[in-house]
Amino acid sequence: MSTIERPLLPLPHETTPSGELYGSAIDLARVRAAHVELCTERETVTVDGNTAAALATLQMWRCVLFAGFPITPSTKWIETVAARIADEPRSRKRVKLLEAEHAVADYLVGAAAACRDLVFPTATSSVGLDHMTETTRSLGASGLGNVMLIDVYRATANFPLCIEGDPSDTLAHRDDGFIQICARGKQQIYDTILQAPCVGMHADVLTPTMPGFYGIKDSHRSARLIQEPDREIHAFQDEWMRPCPLPGLINGDTALGNCVTSKHFQGFKLSQRRRLENALRVLPAVGASFERRFGRPGLAFFDETGWPEKGGVDIAVVGMGPDFGTFETLRESYQAYAGLRVAGIAMRLLTPFPSEAVRRRLAQARVVLVVNQAHHQGRGHLTLDVVDALSTLPDPPRVVPAFAGLGGADVSEATWERMLEEARAVRDGGAVAPAAFYHEGRAL
Amino acid sequence: MSGYKETATHESCFRPGSTLCAGCMEAIAFQSVGRVTDNGVKTIFTIGTSCAEVSSLAFPNVVAWGRGEAPPDDFSRSFAILHNVFESAPTLAEAVRDVADVLTDHGALSAPIQVISASGDGGALAIGLRSLLHTIHRRTRVTVIVLVNEIFANTGFQYSPATTPFASTSTTPSGAASSGNPAPPLDYLHLAIAAGAGLVAQLSPAHGKLFQKTMEKALACETTAVVFVPSPCITGWKFEDGETMQIATLGARCGVFPAFVWERGKGGAVKDCPREAHERPPVEGFLGTQRRFNHLVRRDPAGNGYQVRDGSEADVDQFRAWTQSNVERLYALAELR
Repeated sequence: MSTIERPLLPLPHETTPSGELYGSAIDLARVRAAHVELCTERETVTVDGNTAAALATLQMWRCVLFAGFPITPSTKWIETVAARIADEPRSRKRVKLLEAEHAVADYLVGAAAACRDLVFPTATSSVGLDHMTETTRSLGASGLGNVMLIDVYRATANFPLCIEGDPSDTLAHRDDGFIQICARGKQQIYDTILQAPCVGMHADVLTPTMPGFYGIKDSHRSARLIQEPDREIHAFQDEWMRPCPLPGLINGDTALGNCVTSKHFQGFKLSQRRRLENALRVLPAVGASFERRFGRPGLAFFDETGWPEKGGVDIAVVGMGPDFGTFETLRESYQAYAGLRVAGIAMRLLTPFPSEAVRRRLAQARVVLVVNQAHHQGRGHLTLDVVDALSTLPDPPRVVPAFAGLGGADVSEATWERMLEEARAVRDGGAVAPAAFYHEGRAL
Repeated sequence: MSGYKETATHESCFRPGSTLCAGCMEAIAFQSVGRVTDNGVKTIFTIGTSCAEVSSLAFPNVVAWGRGEAPPDDFSRSFAILHNVFESAPTLAEAVRDVADVLTDHGALSAPIQVISASGDGGALAIGLRSLLHTIHRRTRVTVIVLVNEIFANTGFQYSPATTPFASTSTTPSGAASSGNPAPPLDYLHLAIAAGAGLVAQLSPAHGKLFQKTMEKALACETTAVVFVPSPCITGWKFEDGETMQIATLGARCGVFPAFVWERGKGGAVKDCPREAHERPPVEGFLGTQRRFNHLVRRDPAGNGYQVRDGSEADVDQFRAWTQSNVERLYALAELR
């Protein structure tokens, strides 16, 4: 029994499944009011991908603390954020450069747990993401949907070191538990980062997000971007980001990160999985809401090209990233040349993999060509997911796996044509060959 | 500052229900620190994986943390704790501190927050040395507690960088060809000072008043305060429950882990451990209390304490020499400003 005498600080509190919540301990309206607008009118700017990502995070009033550690090709994100904050004396936002990526991941745990109503972003790449792994796997299970880890894709592993962008880093982290969304092009990068935390922080989801884009190809090359006014962004996000129903460290009487016995471990993992799967319901709703407000496509499971309103296609291509654009530009000419109907999807949501939507889209294809751009010991990460998605069809299309663009190499028109020819041969009754590597129009 | 007796009446944030060994110094330290933190400031602990964590936060066991029987109406007495991987505790604490400071800077948080990081010596000095030193280097306004039981107790009593020379651990076992741990421990006190800490101490609740006073200073420190708590481990050091405080006191007095408190700008002092060896208790008395040193000493058949085993004279001489250098080192560190 305490006999200490001091002024009391009585605050109303409510009981939650995770402890007591003192909802009024943090006055978020003051954080919102203190935000210094970056953009007051819709405008078109020319920026690279890292800058697009930086602008998106800077424009959110919920982003007040930016943690990072430099690694190519993601470094310009933290540099841009730091430069903008340094240039704005009215801003109370802070940048925190830590000593290693692992420290950044730990820092995100502490920050996001401290206040679950703010968004804590960072950006990393390749072995930087690998270095975070011990904690990203904890984060994925943590319920801290207010963590946003922007992965600027770069080939992982240092033997050989390659600083260009293939998605082997993000695909190696499929089981970390994050919602992984791939963006291509500056506008999609910007828009994706504005929407991702709306999904992650949804009360039914509470799962951290990992939006990503290709290093060098998208991170370092510039293009036009429509930048939205901060107030519109805030209005959109406020619609989706409600106060977290669970206590944080500052506004709670709570414990986070407990260990459990194996008996109870099952329940925790099942809950984690269900929250992740709820993203399949929430993400399209957020995307539709975004499109209504801003007039551009919002988050979706995948981008589509060439699909007829009725009937099937001979070849369906599954890919991701900016090289899919090369396929989009040659699709019609190849279609005419081969006398086939050819369509494709570029995956946006990597985890949780939208199996049902993919199955529905590909069910009408005779052959599915899956282009994998990351090293894999088997037929490719995407291939396995696509095959799994199609496995429940009574007569699934034949799947042709291919590897191209490893290490960020361009997937040229010649390479796309070579892979399409391989799919065409299978469509004509040929055998499906083991997954081959394609480069510069040749099978290696 | 509160008086010693008054603080003893405060309500600790470490509550019954932990599965730590009966008499574990970590539990005693948490009880003591927990009472000091009942000071009108909301308390947030971060903790790396360790004996203390798995024994106090294991669902569905009782969470052995929190102040009072029910969530307090007084926000300043509310309590929160966050666990993550072994090395993470200082970084977690730094993040919590920064968020609290940013919110305060925005006018969004009016209540003061105190943040305390707790790690074992494995978590802080082996796998987590990076985290510890950089949090200190950034002058983070948190209190870091390192519970030094000189082993990785949680994983089975392996050697740690803080292991006393000649101690038998599960990875530096004594045997016919080995006298136990061959290396002196990392000079973690000096490292913490060099990294920029505002307060550095080596102190356990065996020095009760000094421990409380030092913890109060640590919580008030404007930069990082680091308190290394020598933590005799019943199972790892192999002694009987009920002897913890005695061993902690003896270890400090004979020079193995002297009580030491240092503040930046003021310097420090070695407490309760004279510089001259003949003024300190003989090391055999300390070695003999723990079976991890069973290969060096044995109980005197005549009942006069402990005596060096035949063949171990050179090792014990080396141990005495190391102890003297350890004491000299701390007296020298105390001179730093």
